[in-house]
Amino acid sequence: MVEPIKLTTRDQRKQLIEAASYNPFLLRAEDVIIDLLTDSGTSAMSSDAWGALMRGDESYAGARSWYRFRDTVNDIFGFEQVIPTHQGRAAEHILFGVMVQPDSIVPNNTHFDTTRANIEFFGGNAMDLPCRESRDLGSEFPFKGNMDIAALEKLVASEGAEHIPIIMVTVTNNSGGGQPVSMANIREISRIARSAGIPFYIDACRFAENSHFIRRHEPGFENTAAIDIAREMFSYADGCTMSAKKDSFANIGGFLCTNDAELAQRERNILILTEGFPTYGGLAGRDLEVIAVGLREVLDEHYLDYRLLSTRYVVEHLRESGIPVVIPAGGHAVYLDARRFLPHLEPLQYPGQSLVVELYIEAGIRSVEIGTVMFGADPHTGEERPARLDLVRLAIPRRVYTQSHMDYVLEGINLVWERRSDIRGMHIVQAPQFLRHFTAKFDWVRDETESRYKTSMEEA
Amino acid sequence: MNTQVANKHTWAEPFKIKMVELLRMTTREQRVEAIQEAGYNTFLTRSRDVYIDLLTDSGTAAMSDRQWAGLMLGDEAYAGSENFYHLETVVRQFYGYKYLVPTHQGRGAENLMSQLLIKPGDHIPGNMYFTTTRLHQELAGGTFVDVIVDEAHDPESLFPFKGNVDLDKLDRLVREVGARRVPYLSLEGNVNMAGGQPFSMTNLKDLYSYCGKHDIPIMLDATRTIENAWFIREREDGYADVSISTILREICDLTDGCTMSAKKDALVNIGGFFACNDEELYAKAQNLAVVYEGLHTYGGLAGRDMEAMAQGIREAISEEHQSARVGQVRYLGEKLESAGIPIVKPIGSHAICIDAKRFLPHVDQDDYPAQALAAELYIESGIRSMERGNVSAGRDPKTGKNRRPALELVRLTIPRRVYTQAHMDVVAESVIDVHKRRDDIRGLKMVHEPEYLRFFQARFEPIIWRTP
Repeated sequence: MVEPIKLTTRDQRKQLIEAASYNPFLLRAEDVIIDLLTDSGTSAMSSDAWGALMRGDESYAGARSWYRFRDTVNDIFGFEQVIPTHQGRAAEHILFGVMVQPDSIVPNNTHFDTTRANIEFFGGNAMDLPCRESRDLGSEFPFKGNMDIAALEKLVASEGAEHIPIIMVTVTNNSGGGQPVSMANIREISRIARSAGIPFYIDACRFAENSHFIRRHEPGFENTAAIDIAREMFSYADGCTMSAKKDSFANIGGFLCTNDAELAQRERNILILTEGFPTYGGLAGRDLEVIAVGLREVLDEHYLDYRLLSTRYVVEHLRESGIPVVIPAGGHAVYLDARRFLPHLEPLQYPGQSLVVELYIEAGIRSVEIGTVMFGADPHTGEERPARLDLVRLAIPRRVYTQSHMDYVLEGINLVWERRSDIRGMHIVQAPQFLRHFTAKFDWVRDETESRYKTSMEEA
Repeated sequence: MNTQVANKHTWAEPFKIKMVELLRMTTREQRVEAIQEAGYNTFLTRSRDVYIDLLTDSGTAAMSDRQWAGLMLGDEAYAGSENFYHLETVVRQFYGYKYLVPTHQGRGAENLMSQLLIKPGDHIPGNMYFTTTRLHQELAGGTFVDVIVDEAHDPESLFPFKGNVDLDKLDRLVREVGARRVPYLSLEGNVNMAGGQPFSMTNLKDLYSYCGKHDIPIMLDATRTIENAWFIREREDGYADVSISTILREICDLTDGCTMSAKKDALVNIGGFFACNDEELYAKAQNLAVVYEGLHTYGGLAGRDMEAMAQGIREAISEEHQSARVGQVRYLGEKLESAGIPIVKPIGSHAICIDAKRFLPHVDQDDYPAQALAAELYIESGIRSMERGNVSAGRDPKTGKNRRPALELVRLTIPRRVYTQAHMDVVAESVIDVHKRRDDIRGLKMVHEPEYLRFFQARFEPIIWRTP
């Protein structure tokens, strides 16, 4: 099945992005040529999944589709309690609602936007402990998603289970460039968590991609099937949150797992209030079916090979052109390093946002800033501070775009690269308190330095 | 029977069946085992063990071929999906509110609205409680105050607008706590807990002028408002020749915003929305939606589900659809009534509510007669119904005691466009058979009681009958 793409001209795109206050989240999808905003919920479903969609049992309680879904999740993830939610952030909201107190600290390799926002919403402190290798953007270390074990040990020793209600690790590490976490690292986190009596949760959004990285790069796993690697990963954890909109090809859905029956009961009490009854959790029966099929498909070795290689294709071509990009290639996205791409801009001029806007104007490509716009506002003081990195993420929807689409994207990025020194910074005109990047409004920086960075826009 | 479209007396459906779902037959022994396993709570039975599923009309509708085609047109872009703009256009056209935030279902919208409008210590008047609505209000620090007319609590009253608000009750509250502590009036169309009873346009106009004077917004629970519009047309002077789409629009124009569970009127399996006319409130709702639901152009819904909703609203507004809908429910109700089964009257649009107090007069309300009757009905023939009485009403947060509501009902909720007249005959027959052996039916005791919305997951055991 195909979906036609509407083409736009450069002049149209300039007007459209201005009308969208220079925020790609506010663009209409039909005005986008190649939509790399996210790999979340944007996958192409298989014919099997469409077939399963047709047999969705829409009964409110105890639907057949629920049992199919639950049994599949049990089989792969191995947790006793499965709680469906309408998407991943709802699973996070419920988990942190029961676990996080004001002043709690929740360490993670790197928290993603909704995870961080949910922890902060409950007054907790979301702490990133990425491994040292991840700070070296030029390093080829294969597991840059790892957590810094020494830092975690130190934190646990000083704060203890009293202030750390939960330790999380995100596989793959989305905010850190889609980099995988090794099995060895997961074992270490688990050991520390268990000896301190702290529950260990995996943010499992891209668990299949992470499993395949382990198979390809971690000694001892060369001949282990992705499903067995996944099962081993989850065996070290006490629970997980999952957005089924990533590694199960669904357009909607998520779930929360735990082995703690008493905790699950408290979580279900909240679930009923904000999501839905425990056997559908705010999802249509057909969506539960689709997830059950997708979780099987995503663990197919040939699919995972294709997935990781097609992402690497883009990264390798960018490197050849000398464009600063996070290496090694991650699983689901290509991350441009906006600070090196636009070295003449300060982090507080939001170089990532400028680059996102220029990519749209140049070629109709929609991408997202992962940097100071997303993470720059201190939740407690409101103070504006540079994020650790300023990246532009080109997320690749699963099974949607072809190699020729990627060639078009590469060409677009190259054209922006050629005129990079003319690109100006941006400022925030208006932004909400939580998750501001979704709805914030921007404009170009207009100050005395403007003439130095006169853009091609105004010349045109 | 009174006004039917084009003076027809039959209510034959304006559609034919295009796709079927097979049902599994069970034996009485299997059903006894299944209901025991489910702790005598129909919510905890498996759908494969159910023959006719009248648990709820929520999310259980059969979509049309056009809605299924709409599913195929899903634009699953994370931001700015075409389906969102289509839905926005349709909601503006039929409901008339300026601003729309989609949510994954109705309670998602209630959650947003309660958090945005209610401050601790506020009082929220409403025309009878609904389970999730009241709990969201309480969790936001508010207190729900029932201002529905007294007739609503009397299952035998034939008053045609038992969903009306009693203005004296409302005025008493406003004078007691002051209009500033009343953030809005919560007005539900075809009041679910009262058995699907409508409010009248006259009542709404009075409310509009009263609330206008006191600067209290009216927030509509629009879930079954199209069905409410149908009853206004049928029962209220001056509306016999007005289209239901015009009536719906008139209702919405007299209110300030709404929450909507699209799983009812709008004929979809998932979806809801919050809508309003106030730009500032809209901006806040967008931001809060991002925390709980999803970006404001998808609100936790797949694009395809927004498309199905847009088409579903168009179909729901058709006179022929509502005529068949109400006709089918009335058919079942009249059948039961003529067999002497005590039901709530007048017959509502989405359900037949059996009055369990009169059906099982020998069972004390704290032995949950409606819960027991729902279990019996399941054992009898595999029909799944829902308790709407003492279990659903829960405990009073102040006294900690069962609320013992006036209405102790078993709701036989009819999914839209799913079952046929022959299925309704099976239902009537089963209820009548249970009625014949009613004296042998015992009450239940609750052995597991969850903290919130206990009816969903509570477990029961039969009370052992001691002969005196």
